[in-house]
Amino acid sequence: MDFKERILTTLNHEEPDQVPVAGFILSQVTSNKILGKPPADIVAMLGNAELRSGLKDIMNATWPEIINSTLADWFEAAIKLGCDANWTIYSQMQVVEEPKFKHGLAMHDVWGRAWELTVDENGNTDANYIRGLCTTEKEWYSWVERNKPLYDELIKNVRDHHKKMAENYGDTILAIGSLGTGVFDNTWQPMGFENFCKFVYQKPEFIKKVIEFQTDLLLRHLNAIMESGVEVVVGGDDFGHKTGPLMRPEQIEKLFGDSYRRISEAVHSQKKKLLWHTDGNVYALLEKFVEWGFDGVVSLEPTAGMELGKVREQVGHKLVLVGNLDISYILVRGTKEEVEDTVRKAIKDAAKGGGYILSPCNSHSAIDPTRLEWMIESAHQYGRYPIAV
Amino acid sequence: MSDDSLEKLKNGLLELEIDISVNAAEKIAATGDPQVVKNAVDTFTSALQTVGKRFQDGEWFLAELVYAGEISKEVMNVLSPLMEAGAMEAAGTIAVGTVAGDLHDLGKNIFVSYAKSAGFSVVDLGIDVSTQKFIDAAKEHNPVALGMSCLLTSTDMEIGKVIEELKRQNLRDKVKVIIGGAALTQRFADSVGADAFAADAITGTDIIKKWSSP
Repeated sequence: MDFKERILTTLNHEEPDQVPVAGFILSQVTSNKILGKPPADIVAMLGNAELRSGLKDIMNATWPEIINSTLADWFEAAIKLGCDANWTIYSQMQVVEEPKFKHGLAMHDVWGRAWELTVDENGNTDANYIRGLCTTEKEWYSWVERNKPLYDELIKNVRDHHKKMAENYGDTILAIGSLGTGVFDNTWQPMGFENFCKFVYQKPEFIKKVIEFQTDLLLRHLNAIMESGVEVVVGGDDFGHKTGPLMRPEQIEKLFGDSYRRISEAVHSQKKKLLWHTDGNVYALLEKFVEWGFDGVVSLEPTAGMELGKVREQVGHKLVLVGNLDISYILVRGTKEEVEDTVRKAIKDAAKGGGYILSPCNSHSAIDPTRLEWMIESAHQYGRYPIAV
Repeated sequence: MSDDSLEKLKNGLLELEIDISVNAAEKIAATGDPQVVKNAVDTFTSALQTVGKRFQDGEWFLAELVYAGEISKEVMNVLSPLMEAGAMEAAGTIAVGTVAGDLHDLGKNIFVSYAKSAGFSVVDLGIDVSTQKFIDAAKEHNPVALGMSCLLTSTDMEIGKVIEELKRQNLRDKVKVIIGGAALTQRFADSVGADAFAADAITGTDIIKKWSSP
């Protein structure tokens, strides 16, 4: 079987030749290490106000090219490791000066989040979501009005980006078209979680309007991705924290249920598959995912108590399971034996009958490429069907 | 003031009806009687403990916990100015911050809110807190506990650096170290020599309560 057949067979809960592996490489630091590429040398520029301003202008003028080039690295890295799939992703950002941030630059995404540009000790850049930019109802409406032209630009760039990725890599690796963040995150993160909670109780009509807006925008985003011909789409909302869902499942259903049903219907109407990424402890939401029409769940974060065996026991083969490889220790500092044991256990607990894609549960810059290599070696060693671990 | 106001103060919180709690707090404050206000604060604190227990038992979710924290802030804004100095004896001091390189503060803020309502005096060191700032806080405030929050795995080793520095400056046996955050686990806490790992704000507050009890 080739990578595509392997993944699609798995997504149909049938046994392929071997357990497929998805890279989850969404970090420039990781891809640079895997490809042996030096980081872009921008540290000196960041330290000089004039050069920093120039860098900001260049980044804004060439943003789609920056994303395409970054994603090309992520895909090259995933291919070099021997992965069957990796995520594409396109996020529309505006680079702005932010004196409060260490390196003086922030990125504002079109949804209203501020990301800090970080640089590690080797000069690799990364970005982390820090806070929302629309902390009041007035600010949110003003943000949406001001950014109207950027929403159209987002859709155009998403379409172009995914087409390019499919053209360049479609023969080598399965590109899972990623929506990035979903309706839940796009609703609360621009206002911050504390404000969001207040507004849910004190301004429910406002929250309803935000959700409607974000759902419509996401559906446009989704259609632009699907036009590229991808077979699988992944959305992402962090519904869970360390010990449970961020919100009462009934409340999530009431606020967001219809949005997710619309998204699933849009994907299934084109005979494609829909995965959904969520960090955190989400046992209490698994049945909701099935009800909303998700084909699979991505992440299954072990440090939040998610265990593949328990998830399988709870939902059987109603969901494809993707991930669960620990990124807090195992893929950062674990020994070869620990990586191997973790992979073997994941395969044992989830892979029988198909429906499991092995993958790190998330991506961050401290994941060690050597551990990723061990992960893939072990997957190939223990993941041959029929599973015998 | 009738017992009705105390009931409304408590029930507004437990039913997440902010107006009911705040209106009751205003009526109680209008009495101008510090003893009445103190009784109200005791009742409210006891209701907050019920909120914490509901969260730990899985009956309530994080959004409800956060909103209860908002109600608590509003109520205490009304009642606190009327309390006599020293009427609420602090259960001890906690110094807490998000480690260097990490700018996330949601979990830390929830912890600060609940630790305060549990009677602790909390020194919030903020985000991106350097090792030196944690050490200075340990020296200056003599806290029962030094709390470190960390969302990113890429910054978790900052916790180890702070603990090593506490040892180097002979402060380690004078302060307990508690850690929490998405990137952290009990295994990590053990590996860096922290005294405790807390998966959530309520558990963290409970652990420190035990440390501060005579």
